[in-house]
Amino acid sequence: MAISNEKEEVISCSKVGVIVEAKEAQISTGPSEGEAADKIISDTVLSLPSHAILDLLSIGVCTRCIFRLFGVRGQIYWSSLLSPTIFAPLIQKSNGSDDEHSKGLESEFCSICLGILQFGFSKEKQNLVKSELINNVSEEIAKFIKQEGHEIDSFSLEVSIPPIILANERSVWLYLKKKYGSERWFEEKFHAEHVTVKDAFKLAITSSLETLLTAKSEISSSSRIRLNHTHSKASLNLEKESVENADGANVKRGAECSEQSNGKTDAAIQRSLSRLQDHAFCERFKSPPEKVNEPCKLEIICNRAPIYIGGRYLKYSRNVSQSRWLIDDERKGEASVEEIIGSNILPVCRGDNYKFHAAGREDIDVRMLGSGRPFLVEIQNARHVPSEVSIGEMEEKINNLREKLVRVRNLQVLGSEGWTLMREGETEKQKQYAALVWISRPLEDEDLQTIASLMDMSILQKTPVRVLHRRSPLDREKIIHWMKIERMVGSQQYFLLHLCTEAGTYIKEFVHGDLGRTYPNLGSILKCRAEILQLDVTDVKMDCFN
Amino acid sequence: MEKEQKDEGYFDKTQTLKDAGMIEFSVPCHRPSSSEQRKEEEPHELLVPDLCSLPLTPPTAVDCNFTCYFAPDFMKPDHDQYVYRHPNGLCVIGLASTHVALKGNRVKTVDFNVGKSNRSEIKVSGKRKRNAQRFEPNTALCKVSTSNGDTSYIVRCCVKGSLLEVNERLIKQADLLNSSADREGYIAIIMPTPTDWIKAKNQLLSLEEFKKLRGLC
Ligand SMILES: [Zn+2]
Repeated sequence: MAISNEKEEVISCSKVGVIVEAKEAQISTGPSEGEAADKIISDTVLSLPSHAILDLLSIGVCTRCIFRLFGVRGQIYWSSLLSPTIFAPLIQKSNGSDDEHSKGLESEFCSICLGILQFGFSKEKQNLVKSELINNVSEEIAKFIKQEGHEIDSFSLEVSIPPIILANERSVWLYLKKKYGSERWFEEKFHAEHVTVKDAFKLAITSSLETLLTAKSEISSSSRIRLNHTHSKASLNLEKESVENADGANVKRGAECSEQSNGKTDAAIQRSLSRLQDHAFCERFKSPPEKVNEPCKLEIICNRAPIYIGGRYLKYSRNVSQSRWLIDDERKGEASVEEIIGSNILPVCRGDNYKFHAAGREDIDVRMLGSGRPFLVEIQNARHVPSEVSIGEMEEKINNLREKLVRVRNLQVLGSEGWTLMREGETEKQKQYAALVWISRPLEDEDLQTIASLMDMSILQKTPVRVLHRRSPLDREKIIHWMKIERMVGSQQYFLLHLCTEAGTYIKEFVHGDLGRTYPNLGSILKCRAEILQLDVTDVKMDCFN
Repeated sequence: MEKEQKDEGYFDKTQTLKDAGMIEFSVPCHRPSSSEQRKEEEPHELLVPDLCSLPLTPPTAVDCNFTCYFAPDFMKPDHDQYVYRHPNGLCVIGLASTHVALKGNRVKTVDFNVGKSNRSEIKVSGKRKRNAQRFEPNTALCKVSTSNGDTSYIVRCCVKGSLLEVNERLIKQADLLNSSADREGYIAIIMPTPTDWIKAKNQLLSLEEFKKLRGLC
């Protein structure tokens, strides 16, 4: 049996253009073209073995499933022209005025596709929709997407069907094989390479969805529309059957969780079904399958791949941490960069959630000034991708918050490349700082020269005591590229130390020496005790979001 | 960002230069308001702190980052040791200024080759601190010998825990104990378990208690 795979999906989506033509022909054209389509269909009907068609109709197989099983291809067959009435001439021919067949058809859903190809479905707390009109399904989807507020210009469609459909199809095939296996048409036309329910459904719905959503169907689209069809009772039985049959029997699932069958179990069921020999299959499944009076439940999921908003942030407070920071449920610091930025971006993008990533971090009591630090906000399932204008407004809003704790610069929307951009930019960075330092003796002019003369000085840093409990004990060599002392008017012992260092240098420890564990340190160079009171990052040299 | 706890407000508790009348008031004691900061694209003004708010003498890094405890007369009279406890649980062990070895003596050698193993040869590695040895409070860390004859003193752990490192600089520069026993002359870093720490803490004196005991107030 043909089971849809990636390749097939690619092909089916590329056929979309043809459907559009067929649909347009149906909707907007004069009678001549519509008649032409009718003629193609009636010719096809006449080419099929009528006794087998009638048999299939009597066991509740729908029009589109019949066409599928007979390997009929061509997009027109998945359009709305394909109503059950096309078989009326056949029925009349065999039975005179007997319309019991068509009556019977109306009262139930297809015994193979469970109504999926009759475009019938039910929704939670809602009566079933029975139509034969694909637009009813696509309107439902469009309505949902509008309700959820998704703004999409393209989409990729995923369809899932209850695994019982595969069993139904096989059961019908075995039924026909038993009855008509020796007839010539069975060998010729009724072969395994038919259009699957999934593909037929996609073919039928794609163009009308494109029209209603004014969006293109693209395999690579970042917006994913998933249509989950479930048929609880039938799925449940099958799952029990086939899973028990699977050699390991280790995937036995409780009834409560099997109602929404996920992709993994679907695949497992498919595998165990195909492993089943025909006679074993017949023992477990009725042939032909039972008729159904209830359509599939349709669940619509729309999800956009994460969008990234990048930039650089500045932090003006010594009481704001980079990420949300709780110790024993108690907040550390008055706010966090993550929350200030995230809470202003998320509502604009109308996403489900956000994640904040930054290239490195500073201590809570260290301000981030100058160039700022590169960051990325990852928005999950954004309904709206902000335009350049609204990005500007976002930046403005964050920068004009009442408490000026954080600012942002160079805010921009990025695709999935945002992540790589920051990862690459993160390497080979230097950082520049300004430290407020006190020394245990008055500062001399000579000290300024001593400090200024030290270029690219190597220091050896043991893992600082303050992080030694959770980091490896190591001796790291770091480079202090340059230093400059700026005197402060009114003080002999306080001064500003400007310094540029290799990434990963612990500055506080370089100043106070960390019990001599960072050596040389500022105190050892100036031959006195040195203490650090404040630290600011003044530049992060990185090749991104500059 | 390091997740150590820090006393963010300690500047306020200390005497400021202004309080001490140390700065002339010609210096504008003015911090730019936040709106001024924002308009100011040149961050330099932001960097210069308000001198008025700075303490005359700031607390040392040890004062800021550790809580100081003392073990007076540990195992022997006048064998006073300190235990500096970091909020992350690590304990820095060293000789208190009142330790008998430091009284009018020059420290000549520090020998970590005590007991079954040389303490300076244990190489602890990884976040999980592989190879760290678990020591008892009375386990010897090193032997300190002074220039005063053949006298030597055993320095001990004081708290039960894993020995993370000893101060190897003391092997070549034993005089760090004379110049800076409370900083660069520390002896070792020990990581006790939380329960062991609670037990150890009960045996130790606080800085105030210790000062009172030794008449240092
Ligand atoms: Zn069907």
